[in-house]
Amino acid sequence: MSGRGGRSTGWGAVWRASRAAVRRRRPQTVVIGLVVLCSSTTVLLALTLLGSASAPFDRAFAAQRGAHAVAVFDPTRTSGAALAQTGQRPGVEAAAGPFDQAVVEISEDWNGQPAGARTVVGRADPAGPVDRLDLRLGRWVTAPGEIVVNLGHQGTPRPELLGSTVEVDGAPPLRLVGFASSMTKSADAWVVPEQMPALRPTAVQMLYRFRASDTEAQVDAGLAEATAGLAEGSLTNVQSYLALKQAFSAQADSYLPLMMVFGVLGLVVSVLIIGNVVSGAVVSGYRHIGVLKAIGFTPNQVVAVYLAMVAVPGTVGCLLGTLLGSLLASPVLQMAFSGVETGSAAIGPRPWAPVACLLGMPAVVVVTALIPALRAHWLPAAQAISAGSAPRAGRGLRVQRRLSNTRLPRPVVLGLAQPFTRPGRAVMTVAAIVLGVTAVTLTTGLTSTMVAFGAAGRVDGAARIQVEVGSTANRRTAPKLTDSQIDELLRGLPGADRVTARALLQVRLVGYPQARFVNFYRGDTSAAAAQMVAGHLPEGPGEVVAGPSFLRQHGLAVGDRITLDVHGRQVPATIVGETVSGNPRAVDSNWSTLQLLGPDTQAVDYTVTLAPGADAKAYLDAVRTADPGLHPALLGSGNTVTTTVVGFASVFTVLLTIVAALGVFNTVLLTVRERRRDLGMLKSIGMTPRQVVVMTVTSVAALGVVGGLSGIPLGIVAHRLIVDNVAVVAFPESMKDVWHPPQLALLALAGVVIAVLGALVPARSAARLPIARVLHHE
Amino acid sequence: MTSDSSRGQVVVRLDDVHREYAGTSALSGVSMQIRAGEAVAVMGPSGCGKSTLLNMIAGLDRPTGGTIAVHDEDLGRLGETGLALFRRRRIGMIFQFFNLLDDLPALDNVALAAQLTGVPSRRARTRALELLDELGVAKLKDSYPGTLSGGERQRVAVARALMNRPDLLLADEPTGALDSRSGEQVMDLLVALHQTGQTLLIVTHDSRLATRCASRLIEMADGRVVRETTPEPVA
Repeated sequence: MSGRGGRSTGWGAVWRASRAAVRRRRPQTVVIGLVVLCSSTTVLLALTLLGSASAPFDRAFAAQRGAHAVAVFDPTRTSGAALAQTGQRPGVEAAAGPFDQAVVEISEDWNGQPAGARTVVGRADPAGPVDRLDLRLGRWVTAPGEIVVNLGHQGTPRPELLGSTVEVDGAPPLRLVGFASSMTKSADAWVVPEQMPALRPTAVQMLYRFRASDTEAQVDAGLAEATAGLAEGSLTNVQSYLALKQAFSAQADSYLPLMMVFGVLGLVVSVLIIGNVVSGAVVSGYRHIGVLKAIGFTPNQVVAVYLAMVAVPGTVGCLLGTLLGSLLASPVLQMAFSGVETGSAAIGPRPWAPVACLLGMPAVVVVTALIPALRAHWLPAAQAISAGSAPRAGRGLRVQRRLSNTRLPRPVVLGLAQPFTRPGRAVMTVAAIVLGVTAVTLTTGLTSTMVAFGAAGRVDGAARIQVEVGSTANRRTAPKLTDSQIDELLRGLPGADRVTARALLQVRLVGYPQARFVNFYRGDTSAAAAQMVAGHLPEGPGEVVAGPSFLRQHGLAVGDRITLDVHGRQVPATIVGETVSGNPRAVDSNWSTLQLLGPDTQAVDYTVTLAPGADAKAYLDAVRTADPGLHPALLGSGNTVTTTVVGFASVFTVLLTIVAALGVFNTVLLTVRERRRDLGMLKSIGMTPRQVVVMTVTSVAALGVVGGLSGIPLGIVAHRLIVDNVAVVAFPESMKDVWHPPQLALLALAGVVIAVLGALVPARSAARLPIARVLHHE
Repeated sequence: MTSDSSRGQVVVRLDDVHREYAGTSALSGVSMQIRAGEAVAVMGPSGCGKSTLLNMIAGLDRPTGGTIAVHDEDLGRLGETGLALFRRRRIGMIFQFFNLLDDLPALDNVALAAQLTGVPSRRARTRALELLDELGVAKLKDSYPGTLSGGERQRVAVARALMNRPDLLLADEPTGALDSRSGEQVMDLLVALHQTGQTLLIVTHDSRLATRCASRLIEMADGRVVRETTPEPVA
């Protein structure tokens, strides 16, 4: 049918009816808008973090044509020509090398880094088919006697160091001419190939890009194909780019389980609330639907009216939520990636995340709305127009009769029976409360765990002071006192309780190309002992402990042995324990191990724990007065991971709790609208406004109790999932078991609090309904 | 509205119409015809099936047996969308409780019916205003239904029902929710419409309304037509 009154006409009327409905149902419109706003923000933040976790590495790695494998060969077992041939094999997309490689010792602290081994490679050109270096300051080496240093990825090039001399043990000094960055981390420094003989190279480096490189197995296969036919034992070491990638996203990975749990919670709550709001609008709009149909709206047009009614605030909420999420994304990413090596990669929100949110959230809203809106499609017009509201089930009345036999006050009885009249709506409301309580429980658990983690080894009420030793490396005044004199001084000053000294050495881990660090501790070890998850603290020489990131990235476990190399002095060490967290590039050991590796090394800093109640300021002043080369500072009470995790969890919990409370608000609002006549009648026979409030709040408080009791176990399970999967921290069982009866009892109240918060405003408006007008209107 | 040439044609034909709700019979074998230009009043006690009959003819409900044809269009063969289009083109409805859309002001309530048929908004509003003017409520065009009296609401509802110049105007207890003065005014309105040739079917308890407005009276009881009469003209 077409033309006048045809199928294709009348959409202007649909839009007009929808717009009017949006305008006149302001509370519901606002609820939908707010729910979608909060959900869009939550989802966008989760997507942003998920998308940023590895994408910057991939982008920067692709831009630099990073090497999928850095292979180190023994030059005594193979020739340069044979190695050059490996780059021509079928699985190899591109290759660079062979480059001579030497391990040199830098005897003095330089550019803020301790003395130790450095890998130097002879390379004529920073560009090439693989591992194109990013020259960040200065120029590339052009002649012997010059060196370009690989700048630590977080480092800022210091122009004043250009032209300075780097002293290398057993070789002529080298003049610094530039700073470069390598996403592949193929070397610590580069010189021209002609310089290499003077540095006594011990290995040859080849850089490969393979056609297939998505998995470790593919990288291994590509390398096997490239090196097939070389003499056995010629390949001495390999570094896969996948290990670098893992290291890059390790910290962000630690937040991913948290973000995913909250992202999924946000989406589920949104779907539930939107479904609840729309089905409520359909049920309470039965007469409206009937009138629309009676004057000639087709069933599809009625559905369109209801979809548009939801889509308008949904779209506005989505736009604002996406905007808010985009504004929050940068600081959140900064927080998530603080301290993470990002190389030349730019960390920022990915453009697809807001686009996905802008397209996806309205789609979720419309699909969610479609199911209840279809009820409007099928609803017979005559039934709708004559009923005025949806038919009631008799369950509510039966429950009410049973409860009437109890001593409960009448308003409470009426309130408790209320959810049974609309079981579907009650179930959706309970589900929203359950998810709200789950979020609150999860955050409470995470906060407890993270606070325990941050406070491990600390004495309540005791200040901690870090005393840094000045040196030319950190460009501070050097102390007059020796290491032992400083130790004695710090212990002797008033207020000191415990002192721990720390020395730092850069070492080469035999079998691994990059430099690593070892922290050596002396003195009080009680704080360190509290950080142990497995094994024990280093007790004798040659014992080390490491955090989960280090162990994971190096494929090591407690009990494994490694070899530490400083200036060619090699010390075998056993990993005797795992700490709760730790630097992915460092292990911890004791002073007796330091005596084997660098007996003359001095402590770089001291941590002093004061006696409870001691005057920290007086102690700081005393240290400064005793030796201006000592630089004391009061340590904060928290740590970054604790702050970040608790911060994320709190933001999401607030958002989800608001959404859940809005869900309850909407339920009560709908119920009050539907029951205007009943409420008017109850008031006409003497129910006081206070009793109306009690009845209305009771109707959802009961749902809050059910939601609270159901949400707690879900929150406990979610907490366990997260703390078991935070990659950079291995929590001991004592930090995971954070649940206590009083705390659980309080959490059980969270459901009631959410319900009452959501119900209070519509309950008070119900209490204020003018009886005469309501009864006349109906 | 009925032209002189179409006067006397059968507009509505019901053949042995039945309607049951959960085993209870609301209509039992109702057969009748309504001709163009007629004003038919259906009377009877509560629950006799009057409103069910009206809903059937409006295509708001479907019979469980028998056929209903309006302008030879068998409503049983129309789907939900077809019925909606049929209502737009053929039917105007007036309800006891007005059933105006609370969300829209009076003018938009009236204009909406024409906009549904594809009439541009400006033209629809112009015609709506003319109708409101004819019915004496033009000054209330921007008022929302909640702020109008019963009589005013019913006039707006009549204007909406007439908006698309329907072949058949159905009125379900049009004075049932009105005070006597407003009821009189609505009665006058219906009489005037009948005199212009509008085909009317009125369901009512009000014998005064029936005798004053209708050219034929149908009495129902227990879902059946029990009597048809022609009312005496009101002096």
